[in-house]
Amino acid sequence: MELLTRQPRLAATALLVPLLALASPGWLTLDGVAPCWAVLWLLPWALSDGPVSGAFTGLGLGLLLDGLHAGAVTQVPALMLLGWWWGRMGRRAPPIQRSFSLGLLALLGSALLGISLMLQWALLDWFGVREAAQLAGPVAGSTLERHGVNPALLALPGWRWDDLAGAGVQVLLAQTLITALLAPMLCSLQLLLWRQLGSGWRR
Amino acid sequence: MPAWRWLRFVRGTSLRRIAPWLLLLLALVAVRLSKGAVLADAYAFLTRPFWPGTAQAEWLRSARRVEDGVRLAQLERDNQRLRSLLDLQKENPNRVTAPVISRNGAGWWQQLLLGQGAISGIRAGQAVLGPGGLVGLVASVTPTTASVTLLTDPRSRVGVWVGRTQHHGLLTGIGTARPLLRFLEKDPQARPGDVVVTSPASTLVPPNLPVGVIQSIDANADPAPEAVVQLIAPISALDWVQVQVR
Repeated sequence: MELLTRQPRLAATALLVPLLALASPGWLTLDGVAPCWAVLWLLPWALSDGPVSGAFTGLGLGLLLDGLHAGAVTQVPALMLLGWWWGRMGRRAPPIQRSFSLGLLALLGSALLGISLMLQWALLDWFGVREAAQLAGPVAGSTLERHGVNPALLALPGWRWDDLAGAGVQVLLAQTLITALLAPMLCSLQLLLWRQLGSGWRR
Repeated sequence: MPAWRWLRFVRGTSLRRIAPWLLLLLALVAVRLSKGAVLADAYAFLTRPFWPGTAQAEWLRSARRVEDGVRLAQLERDNQRLRSLLDLQKENPNRVTAPVISRNGAGWWQQLLLGQGAISGIRAGQAVLGPGGLVGLVASVTPTTASVTLLTDPRSRVGVWVGRTQHHGLLTGIGTARPLLRFLEKDPQARPGDVVVTSPASTLVPPNLPVGVIQSIDANADPAPEAVVQLIAPISALDWVQVQVR
Protein backbone atom coordinates (compact mmCIF):
# COMPACT_ATOMS: atom_id res chain seq x y z
CA MET A 1 0.00 0.00 0.00
CA GLU A 2 3.05 2.20 -0.46
CA LEU A 3 1.66 4.10 -3.44
CA LEU A 4 -1.59 4.99 -1.71
CA THR A 5 -0.05 5.98 1.64
CA ARG A 6 3.20 7.60 0.55
CA GLN A 7 2.12 9.11 -2.75
CA PRO A 8 -1.66 9.52 -2.50
CA ARG A 9 -1.58 12.08 -5.29
CA LEU A 10 -0.98 9.24 -7.74
CA ALA A 11 -4.39 7.81 -6.80
CA ALA A 12 -5.87 10.99 -8.26
CA THR A 13 -5.10 9.53 -11.69
CA ALA A 14 -8.17 7.35 -11.03
CA LEU A 15 -10.19 10.46 -11.89
CA LEU A 16 -9.18 9.81 -15.50
CA VAL A 17 -11.38 6.68 -15.46
CA PRO A 18 -14.79 8.43 -15.27
CA LEU A 19 -13.53 11.16 -17.61
CA LEU A 20 -12.48 8.52 -20.17
CA ALA A 21 -15.79 6.70 -19.66
CA LEU A 22 -17.58 9.96 -20.50
CA ALA A 23 -15.30 10.94 -23.39
CA SER A 24 -15.55 7.39 -24.81
CA PRO A 25 -13.85 7.93 -28.19
CA GLY A 26 -15.95 6.40 -30.95
CA TRP A 27 -12.99 4.84 -32.77
CA LEU A 28 -11.93 2.93 -29.67
CA THR A 29 -14.99 0.72 -29.48
CA LEU A 30 -15.96 -2.77 -30.53
CA ASP A 31 -19.48 -3.05 -31.90
CA GLY A 32 -20.09 0.39 -30.38
CA VAL A 33 -19.08 -0.78 -26.90
CA ALA A 34 -16.27 1.07 -25.12
CA PRO A 35 -13.61 -0.75 -23.08
CA CYS A 36 -13.93 -1.06 -19.33
CA TRP A 37 -11.62 1.79 -18.28
CA ALA A 38 -12.00 0.94 -14.59
CA VAL A 39 -10.45 -2.48 -15.13
CA LEU A 40 -7.63 -1.03 -17.24
CA TRP A 41 -6.69 1.36 -14.43
CA LEU A 42 -7.34 -0.89 -11.44
CA LEU A 43 -5.42 -3.95 -12.68
CA PRO A 44 -1.91 -2.41 -12.73
CA TRP A 45 -2.61 -0.34 -9.61
CA ALA A 46 -3.68 -3.35 -7.56
CA LEU A 47 -0.85 -5.53 -8.87
CA SER A 48 1.64 -2.86 -7.78
CA ASP A 49 0.15 -1.78 -4.50
CA GLY A 50 -1.43 -4.78 -2.85
CA PRO A 51 -4.88 -6.01 -1.86
CA VAL A 52 -5.91 -3.32 0.65
CA SER A 53 -5.02 -0.50 -1.70
CA GLY A 54 -6.65 -2.38 -4.58
CA ALA A 55 -9.91 -2.86 -2.68
CA PHE A 56 -9.93 0.74 -1.45
CA THR A 57 -9.33 2.24 -4.88
CA GLY A 58 -11.89 -0.22 -6.28
CA LEU A 59 -14.40 1.22 -3.81
CA GLY A 60 -13.53 4.78 -4.84
CA LEU A 61 -13.74 4.01 -8.55
CA GLY A 62 -17.03 2.20 -8.10
CA LEU A 63 -18.57 5.15 -6.26
CA LEU A 64 -17.39 7.58 -8.94
CA LEU A 65 -18.69 5.46 -11.82
CA ASP A 66 -22.01 4.73 -10.11
CA GLY A 67 -22.53 8.47 -9.86
CA LEU A 68 -22.48 8.76 -13.64
CA HIS A 69 -25.30 6.29 -14.22
CA ALA A 70 -28.81 6.55 -12.95
CA GLY A 71 -30.13 3.23 -11.72
CA ALA A 72 -30.10 0.80 -8.87
CA VAL A 73 -27.14 -1.36 -9.88
CA THR A 74 -23.64 -0.79 -8.59
CA GLN A 75 -20.12 -1.60 -9.72
CA VAL A 76 -18.63 -1.26 -6.24
CA PRO A 77 -18.64 -4.94 -5.08
CA ALA A 78 -17.10 -6.27 -8.30
CA LEU A 79 -14.39 -3.58 -8.41
CA MET A 80 -13.52 -4.07 -4.72
CA LEU A 81 -13.29 -7.83 -5.24
CA LEU A 82 -11.13 -7.41 -8.33
CA GLY A 83 -8.85 -4.93 -6.53
CA TRP A 84 -8.41 -7.32 -3.63
CA TRP A 85 -7.83 -10.34 -5.88
CA TRP A 86 -5.33 -8.64 -8.16
CA GLY A 87 -3.57 -7.09 -5.14
CA ARG A 88 -3.05 -10.55 -3.58
CA MET A 89 -1.85 -11.85 -6.92
CA GLY A 90 0.68 -9.02 -7.20
CA ARG A 91 2.17 -9.88 -3.83
CA ARG A 92 3.20 -13.33 -5.02
CA ALA A 93 6.42 -14.05 -6.88
CA PRO A 94 7.10 -13.94 -9.76
CA PRO A 95 5.47 -10.56 -10.49
CA ILE A 96 2.82 -10.56 -13.21
CA GLN A 97 3.97 -8.45 -16.14
CA ARG A 98 3.66 -10.55 -19.30
CA SER A 99 1.29 -9.26 -21.95
CA PHE A 100 -0.72 -12.46 -22.10
CA SER A 101 -1.19 -12.56 -18.31
CA LEU A 102 -2.31 -8.93 -18.19
CA GLY A 103 -4.71 -9.49 -21.08
CA LEU A 104 -6.14 -12.59 -19.45
CA LEU A 105 -6.60 -10.88 -16.07
CA ALA A 106 -8.28 -7.89 -17.76
CA LEU A 107 -10.53 -10.26 -19.69
CA LEU A 108 -11.56 -12.06 -16.50
CA GLY A 109 -12.02 -8.77 -14.63
CA SER A 110 -14.15 -7.20 -17.34
CA ALA A 111 -16.24 -10.36 -17.60
CA LEU A 112 -16.73 -10.51 -13.82
CA LEU A 113 -17.76 -6.85 -13.72
CA GLY A 114 -20.23 -7.36 -16.58
CA ILE A 115 -21.66 -10.52 -15.04
CA SER A 116 -22.10 -8.79 -11.67
CA LEU A 117 -24.17 -6.09 -13.42
CA MET A 118 -26.19 -8.69 -15.32
CA LEU A 119 -26.93 -10.58 -12.09
CA GLN A 120 -28.12 -7.40 -10.39
CA TRP A 121 -30.41 -6.55 -13.31
CA ALA A 122 -31.70 -10.12 -13.43
CA LEU A 123 -32.50 -9.96 -9.70
CA LEU A 124 -34.22 -6.59 -10.08
CA ASP A 125 -36.23 -8.01 -12.99
CA TRP A 126 -37.22 -11.04 -10.94
CA PHE A 127 -38.39 -8.93 -7.99
CA GLY A 128 -40.08 -6.46 -10.37
CA VAL A 129 -42.00 -9.21 -12.16
CA ARG A 130 -43.20 -10.62 -8.84
CA GLU A 131 -44.37 -7.20 -7.70
CA ALA A 132 -46.02 -6.48 -11.06
CA ALA A 133 -47.78 -9.83 -11.01
CA GLN A 134 -49.28 -8.89 -7.63
CA LEU A 135 -50.39 -5.54 -9.05
CA ALA A 136 -51.71 -7.15 -12.24
CA GLY A 137 -55.22 -7.55 -10.94
CA PRO A 138 -56.02 -3.91 -10.23
CA VAL A 139 -53.79 -2.46 -12.99
CA ALA A 140 -54.66 -4.72 -15.89
CA GLY A 141 -58.14 -3.42 -16.41
CA SER A 142 -61.02 -5.31 -17.89
CA THR A 143 -60.23 -4.93 -21.60
CA LEU A 144 -56.51 -5.47 -21.34
CA GLU A 145 -56.88 -8.38 -18.96
CA ARG A 146 -59.31 -10.04 -21.35
CA HIS A 147 -56.73 -9.75 -24.14
CA GLY A 148 -54.03 -11.21 -21.92
CA VAL A 149 -51.72 -8.15 -21.89
CA ASN A 150 -50.35 -7.09 -18.53
CA PRO A 151 -49.24 -3.43 -18.76
CA ALA A 152 -47.66 -3.61 -15.32
CA LEU A 153 -45.22 -6.18 -16.70
CA LEU A 154 -44.59 -4.26 -19.91
CA ALA A 155 -43.86 -1.04 -18.03
CA LEU A 156 -41.11 -2.54 -15.87
CA PRO A 157 -37.96 -0.50 -16.58
CA GLY A 158 -34.50 -2.06 -16.78
CA TRP A 159 -32.81 -4.99 -18.44
CA ARG A 160 -35.14 -7.98 -18.76
CA TRP A 161 -34.09 -11.63 -18.91
CA ASP A 162 -34.53 -11.78 -22.68
CA ASP A 163 -32.66 -8.47 -23.16
CA LEU A 164 -29.77 -9.77 -21.07
CA ALA A 165 -29.67 -13.00 -23.04
CA GLY A 166 -29.59 -11.07 -26.33
CA ALA A 167 -28.04 -7.61 -26.29
CA GLY A 168 -26.60 -8.14 -22.78
CA VAL A 169 -24.38 -11.04 -23.83
CA GLN A 170 -23.31 -9.08 -26.91
CA VAL A 171 -22.28 -6.09 -24.76
CA LEU A 172 -20.49 -8.39 -22.31
CA LEU A 173 -18.49 -10.13 -25.04
CA ALA A 174 -17.62 -6.90 -26.88
CA GLN A 175 -16.50 -5.11 -23.71
CA THR A 176 -14.52 -8.08 -22.47
CA LEU A 177 -12.72 -8.48 -25.77
CA ILE A 178 -11.83 -4.81 -26.33
CA THR A 179 -10.65 -4.49 -22.71
CA ALA A 180 -8.47 -7.60 -23.01
CA LEU A 181 -6.99 -6.33 -26.28
CA LEU A 182 -6.05 -2.97 -24.80
CA ALA A 183 -4.78 -4.31 -21.48
CA PRO A 184 -1.33 -5.55 -22.59
CA MET A 185 -0.45 -2.13 -23.98
CA LEU A 186 -2.01 0.18 -21.38
CA CYS A 187 -1.52 -1.95 -18.27
CA SER A 188 2.15 -2.68 -19.04
CA LEU A 189 2.94 1.02 -19.18
CA GLN A 190 1.03 1.75 -15.99
CA LEU A 191 2.59 -1.23 -14.23
CA LEU A 192 6.04 0.01 -15.11
CA LEU A 193 5.19 3.50 -13.88
CA TRP A 194 3.63 2.41 -10.61
CA ARG A 195 6.43 -0.05 -9.82
CA GLN A 196 9.07 2.57 -10.47
CA LEU A 197 7.29 5.13 -8.32
CA GLY A 198 6.39 2.74 -5.52
CA SER A 199 8.67 0.67 -3.40
CA GLY A 200 6.98 -2.57 -4.39
CA TRP A 201 9.31 -3.09 -7.36
CA ARG A 202 10.77 -6.56 -7.24
CA ARG A 203 13.61 -7.67 -9.45
CA MET B 1 -4.21 -7.58 24.57
CA PRO B 2 -6.63 -5.85 26.98
CA ALA B 3 -9.48 -3.89 25.48
CA TRP B 4 -8.28 -0.50 26.79
CA ARG B 5 -5.09 -0.82 24.72
CA TRP B 6 -7.16 -1.02 21.52
CA LEU B 7 -9.00 2.13 22.58
CA ARG B 8 -5.73 3.97 23.08
CA PHE B 9 -4.51 2.68 19.72
CA VAL B 10 -7.56 4.02 17.95
CA ARG B 11 -7.47 7.38 19.74
CA GLY B 12 -3.80 7.95 19.04
CA THR B 13 -1.86 8.42 15.89
CA SER B 14 -3.89 5.85 13.90
CA LEU B 15 -6.98 7.99 14.02
CA ARG B 16 -5.06 10.96 12.72
CA ARG B 17 -3.64 8.76 9.99
CA ILE B 18 -6.93 7.38 8.74
CA ALA B 19 -8.89 10.63 9.11
CA PRO B 20 -7.96 11.92 5.62
CA TRP B 21 -9.00 8.60 4.09
CA LEU B 22 -12.34 8.72 5.90
CA LEU B 23 -12.84 12.25 4.60
CA LEU B 24 -11.97 11.07 1.08
CA LEU B 25 -14.43 8.19 1.41
CA LEU B 26 -17.14 10.63 2.54
CA ALA B 27 -16.37 12.85 -0.45
CA LEU B 28 -16.68 9.88 -2.82
CA VAL B 29 -19.98 8.88 -1.23
CA ALA B 30 -21.16 12.47 -1.69
CA VAL B 31 -20.24 12.28 -5.39
CA ARG B 32 -22.14 8.99 -5.64
CA LEU B 33 -25.24 10.38 -3.92
CA SER B 34 -25.23 13.56 -6.00
CA LYS B 35 -25.28 11.44 -9.19
CA GLY B 36 -21.80 12.58 -10.14
CA ALA B 37 -22.58 16.29 -9.90
CA VAL B 38 -19.02 17.50 -9.35
CA LEU B 39 -17.59 14.97 -11.79
CA ALA B 40 -19.97 15.71 -14.67
CA ASP B 41 -19.56 19.47 -14.17
CA ALA B 42 -15.77 19.13 -14.13
CA TYR B 43 -15.95 17.07 -17.32
CA ALA B 44 -18.14 19.72 -18.97
CA PHE B 45 -15.73 22.46 -17.90
CA LEU B 46 -12.65 20.58 -19.13
CA THR B 47 -14.11 19.56 -22.48
CA ARG B 48 -15.75 22.91 -23.30
CA PRO B 49 -13.08 23.80 -25.92
CA PHE B 50 -13.84 20.53 -27.76
CA TRP B 51 -17.61 20.86 -27.86
CA PRO B 52 -19.16 20.49 -31.32
CA GLY B 53 -19.21 23.62 -33.48
CA THR B 54 -22.32 25.48 -34.50
CA ALA B 55 -22.29 24.17 -38.10
CA GLN B 56 -24.91 21.59 -37.27
CA ALA B 57 -27.24 24.21 -35.84
CA GLU B 58 -28.48 25.09 -39.35
CA TRP B 59 -28.87 21.40 -40.17
CA LEU B 60 -30.84 21.02 -36.97
CA ARG B 61 -33.11 23.91 -37.93
CA SER B 62 -33.85 22.47 -41.40
CA ALA B 63 -34.49 19.05 -39.88
CA ARG B 64 -36.82 20.76 -37.44
CA ARG B 65 -38.86 22.12 -40.38
CA VAL B 66 -39.27 18.59 -41.78
CA GLU B 67 -40.21 17.34 -38.35
CA ASP B 68 -42.73 20.16 -37.98
CA GLY B 69 -44.43 19.07 -41.22
CA VAL B 70 -44.93 15.53 -39.92
CA ARG B 71 -46.11 16.83 -36.59
CA LEU B 72 -48.52 19.29 -38.16
CA ALA B 73 -50.33 16.59 -40.11
CA GLN B 74 -50.55 14.45 -37.01
CA LEU B 75 -51.68 17.34 -34.83
CA GLU B 76 -54.47 18.34 -37.21
CA ARG B 77 -55.87 14.81 -37.07
CA ASP B 78 -55.47 14.65 -33.34
CA ASN B 79 -57.02 18.06 -32.86
CA GLN B 80 -60.36 16.85 -34.20
CA ARG B 81 -60.47 14.18 -31.55
CA LEU B 82 -59.22 16.37 -28.72
CA ARG B 83 -61.80 19.10 -29.33
CA SER B 84 -64.43 16.85 -27.88
CA LEU B 85 -62.33 16.01 -24.84
CA LEU B 86 -60.86 17.94 -21.96
CA ASP B 87 -57.56 19.63 -22.65
CA LEU B 88 -55.31 17.20 -20.76
CA GLN B 89 -51.91 18.54 -21.66
CA LYS B 90 -51.06 21.83 -23.32
CA GLU B 91 -48.11 21.93 -25.63
CA ASN B 92 -45.33 24.33 -24.86
CA PRO B 93 -42.93 25.01 -27.71
CA ASN B 94 -40.10 26.21 -25.45
CA ARG B 95 -36.97 24.33 -26.34
CA VAL B 96 -33.40 24.62 -25.12
CA THR B 97 -30.67 23.73 -27.61
CA ALA B 98 -27.83 21.80 -26.00
CA PRO B 99 -24.58 20.26 -27.30
CA VAL B 100 -23.94 16.56 -26.79
CA ILE B 101 -20.68 16.37 -24.83
CA SER B 102 -20.66 12.63 -24.18
CA ARG B 103 -22.35 9.94 -26.22
CA ASN B 104 -22.78 6.34 -25.17
CA GLY B 105 -25.08 4.66 -27.66
CA ALA B 106 -24.13 1.10 -26.79
CA GLY B 107 -23.09 -0.73 -23.68
CA TRP B 108 -24.71 -1.21 -20.31
CA TRP B 109 -25.91 2.38 -20.06
CA GLN B 110 -27.13 4.03 -23.25
CA GLN B 111 -27.13 7.69 -22.51
CA LEU B 112 -26.06 11.16 -23.60
CA LEU B 113 -24.54 13.92 -21.52
CA LEU B 114 -25.65 17.41 -22.56
CA GLY B 115 -23.73 20.63 -22.03
CA GLN B 116 -26.75 22.43 -20.55
CA GLY B 117 -28.31 21.74 -17.18
CA ALA B 118 -30.51 23.07 -14.42
CA ILE B 119 -29.25 26.62 -14.95
CA SER B 120 -30.84 26.57 -18.43
CA GLY B 121 -34.13 25.32 -17.06
CA ILE B 122 -33.68 21.65 -17.86
CA ARG B 123 -35.30 19.24 -15.41
CA ALA B 124 -35.46 15.47 -15.06
CA GLY B 125 -38.19 13.84 -17.15
CA GLN B 126 -38.17 16.38 -19.98
CA ALA B 127 -38.20 15.17 -23.59
CA VAL B 128 -35.04 15.40 -25.66
CA LEU B 129 -35.33 15.78 -29.42
CA GLY B 130 -32.80 15.26 -32.14
CA PRO B 131 -33.22 16.12 -35.82
CA GLY B 132 -36.31 14.14 -36.77
CA GLY B 133 -37.82 13.29 -33.46
CA LEU B 134 -37.60 12.11 -29.87
CA VAL B 135 -34.33 10.53 -28.73
CA GLY B 136 -34.86 10.12 -25.00
CA LEU B 137 -35.77 11.65 -21.67
CA VAL B 138 -33.65 13.61 -19.21
CA ALA B 139 -32.71 11.27 -16.36
CA SER B 140 -30.82 13.63 -14.07
CA VAL B 141 -29.39 17.13 -14.12
CA THR B 142 -26.48 18.99 -12.58
CA PRO B 143 -26.13 22.78 -12.77
CA THR B 144 -24.37 22.66 -16.17
CA THR B 145 -25.08 19.17 -17.52
CA ALA B 146 -28.01 16.86 -18.12
CA SER B 147 -27.93 13.09 -18.47
CA VAL B 148 -30.33 11.66 -21.05
CA THR B 149 -31.58 8.08 -21.09
CA LEU B 150 -31.89 7.11 -24.75
CA LEU B 151 -34.95 5.36 -26.14
CA THR B 152 -32.72 2.38 -26.91
CA ASP B 153 -31.75 1.89 -23.24
CA PRO B 154 -33.59 -1.02 -21.59
CA ARG B 155 -34.60 1.34 -18.79
CA SER B 156 -36.57 3.47 -21.25
CA ARG B 157 -40.35 3.10 -21.47
CA VAL B 158 -42.34 5.65 -23.48
CA GLY B 159 -46.02 5.59 -24.33
CA VAL B 160 -46.53 5.89 -28.12
CA TRP B 161 -49.18 5.26 -30.71
CA VAL B 162 -49.32 4.55 -34.39
CA GLY B 163 -50.82 7.69 -35.88
CA ARG B 164 -52.60 5.92 -38.76
CA THR B 165 -54.44 3.35 -36.67
CA GLN B 166 -54.43 5.23 -33.35
CA HIS B 167 -53.46 2.09 -31.45
CA HIS B 168 -51.37 2.56 -28.36
CA GLY B 169 -48.23 0.74 -27.30
CA LEU B 170 -45.16 0.99 -25.14
CA LEU B 171 -41.83 1.76 -26.80
CA THR B 172 -39.28 -0.35 -24.95
CA GLY B 173 -35.50 -0.18 -25.22
CA ILE B 174 -33.92 -3.60 -25.49
CA GLY B 175 -30.25 -2.65 -25.62
CA THR B 176 -29.98 -2.63 -29.42
CA ALA B 177 -30.15 0.29 -31.86
CA ARG B 178 -33.83 -0.37 -32.58
CA PRO B 179 -36.35 -0.30 -29.73
CA LEU B 180 -39.36 -2.58 -29.56
CA LEU B 181 -42.94 -1.36 -29.72
CA ARG B 182 -45.14 -3.60 -27.58
CA PHE B 183 -48.78 -3.07 -28.48
CA LEU B 184 -51.53 -3.14 -25.89
CA GLU B 185 -54.05 -4.64 -28.30
CA LYS B 186 -54.12 -8.08 -29.86
CA ASP B 187 -54.82 -6.64 -33.31
CA PRO B 188 -53.01 -3.29 -33.69
CA GLN B 189 -53.56 -3.20 -37.50
CA ALA B 190 -50.10 -1.67 -37.93
CA ARG B 191 -47.81 -2.41 -40.83
CA PRO B 192 -44.18 -1.71 -41.73
CA GLY B 193 -43.73 1.93 -42.71
CA ASP B 194 -46.22 3.31 -40.21
CA VAL B 195 -44.99 6.37 -38.33
CA VAL B 196 -44.86 6.07 -34.53
CA VAL B 197 -45.43 9.23 -32.47
CA THR B 198 -45.67 9.91 -28.76
CA SER B 199 -49.02 9.12 -27.26
CA PRO B 200 -51.45 11.96 -26.50
CA ALA B 201 -52.40 9.99 -23.40
CA SER B 202 -48.86 9.98 -22.02
CA THR B 203 -48.15 12.11 -18.98
CA LEU B 204 -44.38 11.73 -19.41
CA VAL B 205 -43.79 13.18 -22.86
CA PRO B 206 -45.44 15.90 -24.97
CA PRO B 207 -48.00 14.47 -27.41
CA ASN B 208 -47.40 13.68 -31.08
CA LEU B 209 -43.64 14.01 -31.23
CA PRO B 210 -42.31 11.85 -34.08
CA VAL B 211 -40.35 8.88 -32.78
CA GLY B 212 -39.71 6.36 -35.53
CA VAL B 213 -40.98 4.14 -38.31
CA ILE B 214 -42.12 0.56 -37.92
CA GLN B 215 -39.61 -1.70 -39.60
CA SER B 216 -41.10 -5.15 -38.98
CA ILE B 217 -43.94 -6.66 -36.99
CA ASP B 218 -44.18 -9.91 -35.09
CA ALA B 219 -47.92 -10.49 -34.98
CA ASN B 220 -47.54 -13.81 -33.12
CA ALA B 221 -45.56 -12.42 -30.18
CA ASP B 222 -46.87 -13.29 -26.76
CA PRO B 223 -48.85 -11.73 -25.09
CA ALA B 224 -49.39 -9.04 -27.77
CA PRO B 225 -47.86 -8.16 -31.15
CA GLU B 226 -44.48 -6.44 -31.19
CA ALA B 227 -42.85 -4.21 -33.76
CA VAL B 228 -39.24 -3.25 -34.32
CA VAL B 229 -38.98 0.53 -34.67
CA GLN B 230 -36.30 2.40 -36.56
CA LEU B 231 -35.79 5.72 -34.81
CA ILE B 232 -35.97 8.81 -37.02
CA ALA B 233 -33.29 10.75 -35.13
CA PRO B 234 -29.76 9.40 -35.82
CA ILE B 235 -28.60 8.79 -32.28
CA SER B 236 -25.08 7.75 -33.23
CA ALA B 237 -24.43 11.05 -35.05
CA LEU B 238 -26.04 13.55 -32.69
CA ASP B 239 -24.00 16.63 -31.90
CA TRP B 240 -26.82 18.96 -30.89
CA VAL B 241 -30.23 18.23 -29.42
CA GLN B 242 -33.17 20.20 -28.13
CA VAL B 243 -34.75 19.75 -24.74
CA GLN B 244 -38.44 20.53 -24.50
CA VAL B 245 -38.67 22.49 -21.27
CA ARG B 246 -42.05 22.92 -19.66
